[in-house]
Amino acid sequence: MIEVKNIVKIFPNTPVPVLKGINLKIEDGDFISLVGKSGSGKSTLLYIISTLDHPSGGEVFYDTKNLNTFSREEIYRLRNHNIGFVFQFHYLLTELTAIENILLPARKANEVEKRRSFAMEILKTVGLESKEHRYPGELSGGEQQRLAIARALVMDPKYIFADEPTGNLDSANGKIIMDLFKKVNQEKGTTIIYVTHDNDFAALAKKKVVLLDGKLV
Amino acid sequence: MMFLSIRQLMARKKQSLLILLGITIGTAAYVSISGMMLGFQSYMMEQLVNNESHVRISAREEILTAKDMASYPEAAHVFWQIAPSGRKDSTRIEYPLGWFKKMDADKDVVAYSPQVIAQVIFTHNKITKVGRVIGSQYDRQLKVTNIENYMKSGSFKDMGYSGNRLIIGTKLMELLGTRLQETIFVSNGSELPQSFKVVGSFETGIKSIDEGTSFISLTDGQKLRGTPSEITDIAVKLFDPDLASDKASSWKKSSRDKILSWQESSAAILSVFKTQDIVRNSMTISIILVAGFGIYNILSILVNQKQRDVAILRSMGFSPKDIVQLFFNQGMLLGILGGAIGLLLGFIICLIMSRIEVVPGRMSGPGNRMIISFSLYIYIKAFSIAFITAIVSSIIPARAGGKLEPMEIIRSGGQ
Repeated sequence: MIEVKNIVKIFPNTPVPVLKGINLKIEDGDFISLVGKSGSGKSTLLYIISTLDHPSGGEVFYDTKNLNTFSREEIYRLRNHNIGFVFQFHYLLTELTAIENILLPARKANEVEKRRSFAMEILKTVGLESKEHRYPGELSGGEQQRLAIARALVMDPKYIFADEPTGNLDSANGKIIMDLFKKVNQEKGTTIIYVTHDNDFAALAKKKVVLLDGKLV
Repeated sequence: MMFLSIRQLMARKKQSLLILLGITIGTAAYVSISGMMLGFQSYMMEQLVNNESHVRISAREEILTAKDMASYPEAAHVFWQIAPSGRKDSTRIEYPLGWFKKMDADKDVVAYSPQVIAQVIFTHNKITKVGRVIGSQYDRQLKVTNIENYMKSGSFKDMGYSGNRLIIGTKLMELLGTRLQETIFVSNGSELPQSFKVVGSFETGIKSIDEGTSFISLTDGQKLRGTPSEITDIAVKLFDPDLASDKASSWKKSSRDKILSWQESSAAILSVFKTQDIVRNSMTISIILVAGFGIYNILSILVNQKQRDVAILRSMGFSPKDIVQLFFNQGMLLGILGGAIGLLLGFIICLIMSRIEVVPGRMSGPGNRMIISFSLYIYIKAFSIAFITAIVSSIIPARAGGKLEPMEIIRSGGQ
């Protein structure tokens, strides 16, 4: 469970806070969409919850433990073992093949061989089993994003944070991605929080969180 | 991170190869140039240190000045119109027994050889040549120098303790048109010429020695000079040749005889060696520095280009230390690989150079081949230079990579 208490975010040289005292509770197994207009602070909130950004005020709790009390090493371990990220751009490493990209988080945890068969399973789930040795440049945009999701899943994380995962895809590929998220949420119980501009995709979530001018609506 | 570092290097084959080439050439250049120069230097040092003596004690040389007269009580009333000048040399070592006792008691001294050195005229048939003879006891002389190694014919011992037998430089033998077992005449200019039988020849490779020096026994030398029981020089060999300079300085304090260490008598050649070392090091370091700047540039560009990768790696739990390692490994790998290939290439060049034939007797080793040093020290130093350059030039861009914050990259859209 993640609990967000009174989160404030102020960027330097910006007079108005981006987030103005956000409180949010995310239960294990939740499937949440974060929506709002551009500049409403949804991506900022996502990155603060996911440990990549620091709030100017307020606290984030992971299973009742305050993030501020985590050491750096604990944060890196949390990201590696418990969190999977999917960005609007796939952010795949161009020098590595599909399977090598998927196994990157496992490489950090020294679990490459342990996770290899699981990685192959995930590749199958995302429909890329025949392309394990292809480089990102040899895949389509939709395939690249599915590969990025596979990479986010390889450590079997408790949480997946996605920042506009369908933002760069056509609607058919966007639907495939959202179906994948749904499947992972239903079958594995992975908590998924995603930012989207698309109302149809936002509607697929069990819970919809709307932000307006840095506040929850 | 090594896996990823290698993959990133392999992905930029052309850039990596160019840098590798720079380090390889720099290392190979250092090895081959050092091999050649140090080979030459070691040959020369061998000549300087072991062909002659570590310390030479010879009859005193005194330059006269007005101050030398100051010790007389009347000197206070003397005003020179033309101050005294000139030399007040001695033709012999005044108290050789004192020196022998000193040498025998000194633990740093391996051996010493009393000598009589004289400028002479060699005559064979109608040919005359000016040169010098060194009169010594062969057993002592062999302990002090390695002249036996340079014998071309006969043995150094063949000159015996007396009997007018002479060991001659090969060039001098050629110039006089003489052969082994023939007789030549030697005169010191003031006494009648004496006949000497040529019983051996030597070739050190140093023209001035081979063209103008011959060895005879100490007794024959004293007879030739017409000064029985006198000696002009004592050649001293020390256990540690590097001590020669200090030893000579300390002996000078208690004697008026002329005392010269091999470093002092070879100062000009040693300064040439120093210049050679400076040229060799600066040239190689320049090449390696260029390669180092290459590494720095390429890694800096790479860190800039790979910001997006840094962001995603950090989001997966990789620490800033891991990111530093990712880039640092690449510079280190280039340094190790370039250094290793450079060592091999340098070794091959040295092998080829060691087979080049040079003019016989001139700076050549066995079989008249070029003398090349294969000292391990050269290879260790060459590799260290390549490795350290690579490390130093990698660390700054690698640290810059480690300082990248994932959020800043993501917000800026990443590259």
